[in-house]
Amino acid sequence: MQLSFLSTALLGSVLAFGGASAGAADYQFSGDLRYNTDRVEIRFDVTGGGDVRLWTDSWNNGLNFDPISVLWQQTGNDYTRVLEVDDDDTIAAGQGFYDTGMAFSGLAAGHYLYVVGPSFVEPFANGDLLSGGYAQDGSTPIPISLWNQPSYDPNANDQKGTFYNIHLSGVDNAVMAAVPEPTSVAMMLAGLGFMGGIVRRRKRAVWVTSHDVV
Amino acid sequence: MGRPRQIKPLPSGSNRRSFLKRAIPATMAATAAPLLLTTGVSAIAQPNPSVSQHGVASGDPLSDRVILWTRITPATARSVVTVRYVVATDAALSNIVARGNTKTNTHRDLTVKVDAAGLQPQTTYYYQFSAEGQDSPIGRTRTLPLGDVDSLRMAVVSCSNFAYGYFNVYRRIAERADIDMVVHLGDYIYEYGSGQYGSTRPCEPASEIITLTDYRTRHAQYKRDADSQAMLRQHPLVAIWDDHETANNAWVDGAENHQGGTEGSWPTRVAAALQAYYEWMPVRIVDAAKPQHNYRSYAFGNLVDLILLEERLGGRAAQLGSNIGSAAGYFIQSGAYNDPARQLLGAKEEAWLFDKLRTSQARWKLIGQGVMFAQVKVQGAPNSAGGGVFFNSDAWDGYQPARNRVYDVLKGGAGQTAVDNVVILTGDIHSSWAADLSQDPNNPDPSSGGYNPATGEGSHAVEFVGTSVSSPGVDDPAAAAGTIAALTPANPHLKYINLNKRGYMLIDADANRCVCEWWHVDTVARISSNEAFAVAFEVRAGSNHLVASVQTTPRTDAPLLAP
Repeated sequence: MQLSFLSTALLGSVLAFGGASAGAADYQFSGDLRYNTDRVEIRFDVTGGGDVRLWTDSWNNGLNFDPISVLWQQTGNDYTRVLEVDDDDTIAAGQGFYDTGMAFSGLAAGHYLYVVGPSFVEPFANGDLLSGGYAQDGSTPIPISLWNQPSYDPNANDQKGTFYNIHLSGVDNAVMAAVPEPTSVAMMLAGLGFMGGIVRRRKRAVWVTSHDVV
Repeated sequence: MGRPRQIKPLPSGSNRRSFLKRAIPATMAATAAPLLLTTGVSAIAQPNPSVSQHGVASGDPLSDRVILWTRITPATARSVVTVRYVVATDAALSNIVARGNTKTNTHRDLTVKVDAAGLQPQTTYYYQFSAEGQDSPIGRTRTLPLGDVDSLRMAVVSCSNFAYGYFNVYRRIAERADIDMVVHLGDYIYEYGSGQYGSTRPCEPASEIITLTDYRTRHAQYKRDADSQAMLRQHPLVAIWDDHETANNAWVDGAENHQGGTEGSWPTRVAAALQAYYEWMPVRIVDAAKPQHNYRSYAFGNLVDLILLEERLGGRAAQLGSNIGSAAGYFIQSGAYNDPARQLLGAKEEAWLFDKLRTSQARWKLIGQGVMFAQVKVQGAPNSAGGGVFFNSDAWDGYQPARNRVYDVLKGGAGQTAVDNVVILTGDIHSSWAADLSQDPNNPDPSSGGYNPATGEGSHAVEFVGTSVSSPGVDDPAAAAGTIAALTPANPHLKYINLNKRGYMLIDADANRCVCEWWHVDTVARISSNEAFAVAFEVRAGSNHLVASVQTTPRTDAPLLAP
């Protein structure tokens, strides 16, 4: 949700390690999401084709929400999905079972968008293009503090925490940035006469929430 | 769906001993039958590559939701597994009404628990899990009704000791399609090591369970039993623990079978036992911050309020005396036994129970609990003459002031209305009993607080006590008959006693009466399909005392069992 992204942006903070935007560096973004439909969206560049790692370490054994992430690479006026990962705790020390992350050796130079949100479902993204939107699009936002996530443990009633902590290593110019909502992207493309089949939204995934009554 | 899914890296692991056991008079225990050894076919499902080799289960149904449970055994070791599930109204799973996905991880011992919500009341559902490309067996469950309800039929079990025998009782219950739920009153597992309390089947682990890994391993073994799997797959389970889910004769700060010097601290052991319990049982935790407080209630429309008590870990004072159940442990109600500060439930739970009883609008108040509420004496006497001699200080007999407070609620007075139609359901003692509940059963004058055994006058409620699934009673019929002959004159309120049979209770309640049928199996020493109706007693609405009854009629419209 765009509004919730705004809150995300306001709440978020960033720390950069390793220096200037001209060279590959390590970044850390942290803050709080409010709703289960919120997403953290971070733009960055890769210039040198080096090793890149992107990960969270905020799940904290269920203290905070279960994150999922997707990496997009800018292609023309849209973004193409590079990789989507729900759980990977092998990227860096300090991660827990349900933290997300991805690692690349020689990631191609380009402009990228790394998106992290509460794990609604796999897949997180509706398609190979950002313009296809996300699985939770259209869902009624629920405060994370009141939400039973798909992976919550009923014995612990966990994952109600809103805190996120995102690390990017080996990237350039990482900024938490507002990006056009998928529908806005579509409108822009339509205005440019590039509609084609790109804006057709994918049917929502069948496994869309923690528990769908159908 | 319908598109290639991104392949992601696989996560890896950087981050991960009873009434007759104790209550048999020593002389009788010495004459009990020796343990039966068997070389029969194991009822354990053989290890297989199935991801759901521990079966499926459901439990703690409400009118709109039910807990669905399984445990994932990955083909190769994994720390996280994604699990999908579907819920349907038909056994073929063609009319799916709910679906979802969840995850589990090794910190949860790869157990899966889903609170499937958004369901319709009084409806039978079928469900299935899938993980790693394999589907689980199909389970069957049922939600609770709302409003006007004609009847409740449910099976009641307790004391399922894997080492002592086969769960033939569970298999018989699995075959009944017309029951609404199964209630387990505790001692679902036993903590002892192989040969320490039963040697028909070996225990996993072989030693007494103390650590989290131990408790998990024992739960896993019980869940692999084929008869257990059959029952849990067909009916929702409502379970409470008694002592053996932790250790024998547990109380809030210890247990008879816990030796701190060699087995660590009691709180650590309790935490381990309860963590494994909640992981491996289809139970909805009441308060994640206080897992030992699992007392709760279920409204079965306007017919029944099922009130479940916790009697071990929340507030029970230590049992008095030693040699519980043996002649050396017999006692009279004097001294510390008259201390009103000694709780069995704890003050908070006691207040909760009293409020539930006083405010319930249901016709029947069924109280599911662990230890026998009715007085059981080895020597009878009216209270005016000291009350007689009791033998089981682990039961309510050992906590008489606390029991009297319950009677105060039942009797009313002091501005409170009397509470009628209370039925107590009890396990623990590996034997079958039916009791009128009186504070002074050996006083034949109801006008002075006594009890008329011919008419039931003076009884304030009734108690149905179910025998064990497999744990031993007085298995020698002659010894059992001798014990019963010794008990009967001292206990005129006990209308039925059977000490040598294993089995279950079948409760059938409607607006007019609540019937309990006792069903007994022929053996637990081997797999057997033989069961027999033993006896039935009922309490009629407003009467608060027992009368003999007959076998009830099964429902004719029972939903299909799961395939």
